[in-house]
Amino acid sequence: MMLAVVGGGIMAQDGGGTVVSAISMVSGDLLTIDPAQAEASSQIEVINQIFIGLTNQDVVTAETGLGIATGFTAEPQDDGTVVYTFTLQEGIPWVRYNADSGAVEQLTDADGNPMVVTAQDVVYGMLRSLNPETASPYSYVLVPYIVGAAEFNAGTGAADAVGVVAVDDLTVQITAPDAASFAPAIYGLWMSRPQPQAIIEEFGDVWTEPENIATNGPFALKEWAHDESITMIRNPFWPGSDSIPQAQLEEVTLRFLDTPQQFAEYQAGTLDAIQVPADQLAFVQADPTLSAEYVTGGNPCTYYVGFDNTEGPSANAHFRRALSMSIDRQAIIDNILQGGQEAAGFFTYPGLNAAPQQEDFPDAAIHYDTAAAQAEFALALEELGAASAADLGQLSYVFNDTATHTAIAQAIQQMWSETLGLEVILEARESTGYFAGLSEDAPTIYRAGWCQDYSDANNFLYDVFFSASSQNDTGFVNADYDALVAEARVEGDTAVRVDLYSQAEQILVNEQAAIAPIYFYNLQLLVKPNVERAPSVTGNEAYYLWSRSS
Amino acid sequence: MAKFIFRRILWMILVLFLVSVITFGMMHAVPGGPFSREKPLPAATVALLNAKYHLDEPLFVQYLYYVGDIVVPRITLERTPPSQSENYLIDIDLPDIFGEEAHFKWVNFGPTYTSRSRTVNDIFRENLPNSVQLGIAALCVSLAIGMPLGVFTALKRNTRWDYAGMSVAIIGVSVPVIISAPLMQYLFGVQWKILPVTGWGTPAHVILPAFALGFVNSALIARLTRASLLQVLNEDFIRTARAKGLAERRVISLHALKNSLIPVVTILGPLAAALLTGTFVVETVFSVPGMGRYFITSIRARDYPVIMGTVLLYAAVLIIANLVVDLIYAWIDPRIRYD
Repeated sequence: MMLAVVGGGIMAQDGGGTVVSAISMVSGDLLTIDPAQAEASSQIEVINQIFIGLTNQDVVTAETGLGIATGFTAEPQDDGTVVYTFTLQEGIPWVRYNADSGAVEQLTDADGNPMVVTAQDVVYGMLRSLNPETASPYSYVLVPYIVGAAEFNAGTGAADAVGVVAVDDLTVQITAPDAASFAPAIYGLWMSRPQPQAIIEEFGDVWTEPENIATNGPFALKEWAHDESITMIRNPFWPGSDSIPQAQLEEVTLRFLDTPQQFAEYQAGTLDAIQVPADQLAFVQADPTLSAEYVTGGNPCTYYVGFDNTEGPSANAHFRRALSMSIDRQAIIDNILQGGQEAAGFFTYPGLNAAPQQEDFPDAAIHYDTAAAQAEFALALEELGAASAADLGQLSYVFNDTATHTAIAQAIQQMWSETLGLEVILEARESTGYFAGLSEDAPTIYRAGWCQDYSDANNFLYDVFFSASSQNDTGFVNADYDALVAEARVEGDTAVRVDLYSQAEQILVNEQAAIAPIYFYNLQLLVKPNVERAPSVTGNEAYYLWSRSS
Repeated sequence: MAKFIFRRILWMILVLFLVSVITFGMMHAVPGGPFSREKPLPAATVALLNAKYHLDEPLFVQYLYYVGDIVVPRITLERTPPSQSENYLIDIDLPDIFGEEAHFKWVNFGPTYTSRSRTVNDIFRENLPNSVQLGIAALCVSLAIGMPLGVFTALKRNTRWDYAGMSVAIIGVSVPVIISAPLMQYLFGVQWKILPVTGWGTPAHVILPAFALGFVNSALIARLTRASLLQVLNEDFIRTARAKGLAERRVISLHALKNSLIPVVTILGPLAAALLTGTFVVETVFSVPGMGRYFITSIRARDYPVIMGTVLLYAAVLIIANLVVDLIYAWIDPRIRYD
């Protein structure tokens, strides 16, 4: 199929201009900007500016708003399934940047008709992500929310049997197997977004190159200098929607740099927005100019210490509780991290939908308490038949080798030694081998973390620690916990869900102490004073909300 | 001489074969795979990805796939959409008598697992030239500083000029690039803002990384040149040259210098191979889109085709550089013969 192009000029607007940013970027190339293939925050950051799905997470409120849909209905069926009917906004074009004319242009099909985003594009996008041949690393997040998706994704079912259909050009109907209230958020995630079938079939694996791609968001892809940067240009054809207005910036360039290089470029005045290197936080906060440009943002990730719940001393709940309660989380934040992070008494990141807050449920959360820790440790030694900590054998704390993880490991090692008299050795492992080892056979005590896929407590408490979850490296199994998170999953009332999740947290981090949550991540950024950044609690930047004054 | 070169090329093929087998075996013996993540992918997804890249086959079958893709040429008659697994360094459109879409394709180094669209050939095509440019610039810097400094200190042996010059050389050798590169970056880029901090693309971008890389090696070359020249200056033929009444300038430039180059040329072989294929630290510090970082990141990411590609490239360049060095020996010193 051949594609022709119709022209369309663009004019710079007030508040426009170019922003060069490196937030969330790292050195090297982006793995992909294909919505069906993306997995890391740097890739999703780009996709969020150029591909818009049915729904969209508002970066300011973290709530699920509308993307290219103008509204939707949810109708529960007699068999327990729920049918979601989404209505699409009319006339959102597929566009591509033309390097020769220097303008973003609307694409047309073989007959010369403008290509617009249709219900079929949404269906194609979801089915392509679910197709086993695509080998999408994030299809598993979408799988539980469409009937027939699991079988199709596993290669045992047909695409026809997947419950997502285009009723007409502007109506998508999705059948969900159960009443999970956050399903509409999943339908807006990157792997659920509309994808341009004709383009993908013509250009194969290189369809995401700027000269081939078709996008539908507030920005279009202008240039992708592999291993260096990606540049996006304002899409004048984006009509604006509920939570995504037309972009004000003319261009955004994201440079692939590690934080030390980001910091150097920022000081040289060539980058407008960066992530502060961990070892420069104290310097930045003390510097009069830089501290005025310093902002923190949300980053929905939790740092925790995992325990092997199935064997060794860590199979004993008293042992785990003693270790968790002897970690002074605030001291780690104040002395090592120094970025204003929040100490974690729960596993669930507090900014998520239906997440219980530690302030509201202080008794359910786990706290630093040396006296209680020592009492628990005495019980543990008794149950394990050991006279002293030395009889427990040589224990190690295993972590992937980075400067921050090492510093935190040393602090925790010292806290356990001082409070419990427990000596552990630190074992730093190379990252890739470390992560591969976690899911095969988790070490007795190890460092781990979890970041949101979608903004709901279910993504933490059900997706990770439900007993059958593939992410559950600890081997934690608890029938009460499973019942609570399964019930909360399909409960419609948010207040009831929060309460159920607080009970689940109480079991997970307190009563059973399957893990020891340490802190909730945040982002530490520097933004030039003439750049207006949209505050974000989701860990993603929405450049379509940014502007600059000069 | 032709026979010598031919024999060396045959050896090169054997060496590359052995290097490929050993590397292939070792990289698969390391725990973890290309799809190990902090947030683990579900087993079913990993199985799909492994199948996509033939990683579920026995090792020797994988090896045969790999070598076959590189050495076996193929002819395709129909157009296929661009694919990560089907990207050839040599891709020639055949005359239309074979069919409109007929292509001759040869040398496919495979996909890179750290990208869903790029290939090892893309890295060779796009990143290797950057490293070669930087490498040549760095070599020029090392020779331009190192050789004159070596000659100068040798001629001024045991004077304060000699001690000053060699002190500079000692500092150059002793300060690792990981210190000097960020320092130069901070001074020239951040503090004085006269050169770009990071990036690539203009001549100004080449200066800092080329000096950071070149300075260390110039110190090495200076010391070698000095030692070698001092030795040569004691040779009989130098005395003969002086006895003939040649001006000292001609004695040094025509007779001594050329003969003192042998040790310098010896290290230039491996040095050129290392510099031309890219260096990790300098490319990372200055964010140069070169090959160097792929040597390290591919191992960390278990990106098997990139590990193989970089190792084979380095081995090949090293062998060729040493061959060139051997040929230069014969030119410098007519006593050296290879037949």
